Amino acid sequence: MTASIRITEAGRAAVTDLGRHRGPGVGLPVNGALDQYSARAANILVANAEGAPLIEALAFDIAFVPSHDVLIAVTGADMLVTVDGVERPMWEPVPVEAGQEVRLGDMLGGMRTYIAVRGGFDVPELLGSCAPDPAIGFGTTLAVGDSIGLHARTGVPVNPYFGISLFNFGVDRPYFGDTACIDVTDGPDIDEFAGTAGLLFEAPYRVSTRSNQVGLRLSGVLPTRVGSGEMISRGVPVGAIEVPPGGELLVLHRGRGVTAGYPVLGVVTSTSLDTLGQVRPETEVSFRRVSLERAARDARVWRERLDRLRDRVGTVFSCLGVTPAGMERAES
Amino acid sequence: MRSPIRIQETGESAIRVIGSSGDREADWRVVHKIARAVTTPGIEGVHSAIPTYDAVLIEVDPERTTLAAIHAIVQAVAGEIDPDEPLTQQPREFVVPVVYGGEHGEDLADVARLTGLSEEEVIAAHLAPTYVIRCLGAPGGSPMLDGPTLPVPVPRLTSPRTHVPQGAVSLAGRQATITPTAAPGGWSLIGRTPLSVLDLSEETLVPYAPGDILRFERIDERRFAELAGRRLTAMETAP
Repeated sequence: MTASIRITEAGRAAVTDLGRHRGPGVGLPVNGALDQYSARAANILVANAEGAPLIEALAFDIAFVPSHDVLIAVTGADMLVTVDGVERPMWEPVPVEAGQEVRLGDMLGGMRTYIAVRGGFDVPELLGSCAPDPAIGFGTTLAVGDSIGLHARTGVPVNPYFGISLFNFGVDRPYFGDTACIDVTDGPDIDEFAGTAGLLFEAPYRVSTRSNQVGLRLSGVLPTRVGSGEMISRGVPVGAIEVPPGGELLVLHRGRGVTAGYPVLGVVTSTSLDTLGQVRPETEVSFRRVSLERAARDARVWRERLDRLRDRVGTVFSCLGVTPAGMERAES
Repeated sequence: MRSPIRIQETGESAIRVIGSSGDREADWRVVHKIARAVTTPGIEGVHSAIPTYDAVLIEVDPERTTLAAIHAIVQAVAGEIDPDEPLTQQPREFVVPVVYGGEHGEDLADVARLTGLSEEEVIAAHLAPTYVIRCLGAPGGSPMLDGPTLPVPVPRLTSPRTHVPQGAVSLAGRQATITPTAAPGGWSLIGRTPLSVLDLSEETLVPYAPGDILRFERIDERRFAELAGRRLTAMETAP
């Protein structure tokens, strides 16, 4: 019998991965986990490839029951995690026995929680990625009663001490608070905003409820475009900051349409995009202008943390005789 | 003769390359050729390239390459490109049947009013050209076309629709397109094709590519019903 999990409470969740990187070349957004650090960490903690399919749960409670003994890890937004009613830690591998119910609830901070299961989910892919694309109706969203298959049944490290964490890997956990500081590099069209571009960095903005995986809308004092000609459509990066008509600032995220006809004032750094994947409506966001070198350095620090975590997990799992298959940095 | 390009920094994981010869056609060919060259196997660290009219956005994986390396690659491939050589040696031709106006093209009357033409004149203008597919747009690989010749550009809707149906044939500014999949949109709808464009089982998702040719053909409601759901495919070409 193939291993699977059965969904007993669905909330708003879907199976995703790090994104459809071949999509933009054919007109599809990249999509994928909005908080890439947390998604990668979840997979690393269960010795999956970083790009393995995992669950992204948005803000609401979710619960499931595995058909076999499995190893899971929960990362991202802070939630109360229980296994058959017993509280278990986030950001650590947690063994779950067949038939036990894993329940996530009471999200305290952040917006998106990630659940990786050792082996990864066996779900349909499009252009090498399972990431949902609501625009074209593709993806595996979860509903009560669904069974989601797992790739190979794999060994689960046994924890001989009931109720005690299997391991404590000491993952660097991001902080999800009521305010966020977002780093931005200059966009290619910053001159279109002449002297008003600096307004972006002067006072905080407030995240609107009309924000989603396509982009975040924020209210505040807006830079204004000086040029008035119709801009020709061009490819637009994830993280692009635009000021379209309508009185709000728009920050594009991973679900963005790949082309747009608005000037790009700035581009949010990759590490800050993860933060934006976790901000709630009404959060106060301040923007900070940084250099490309600074952005690349921060991304490197982020990468090194994940690499160290993968090394630690690999060592421990090998000692326990669990083959850390798929521990390579798989890219979709 | 090498065609000039400009490279603009666009965050830590992308660059924008603009064709800057001033010759619109040459710039278009150059940026599409750069897109093809940097996405061929063997170029390390490029996720994708999004070529449009005068520019290409190249998205990279900063874990596998650096912006400096991509700059160098772009300069090298640009040096090999002949800007006068056609983008596609043998373009395929697509004929798209359209019912104009009425429930299928709710904005046709507005477009006529805003451009000072009659509805029939707008339809005739839309049917006249043989269009070159300039690039693929959102959502889902829309064929972006230089729009028909109209007295003035078609303004974008002041309040975008939350739902534009699959197959919508629309105009905005001096551009025209077809909508492969239902989506929100701010373009003016002048008609609709019954053919299905998007095919998720195909690696390219849509049957056409930049550089291919597209024409519109007027049909009536009865023909619309007959063709509903069929796939858009390239015309058989004479040997």
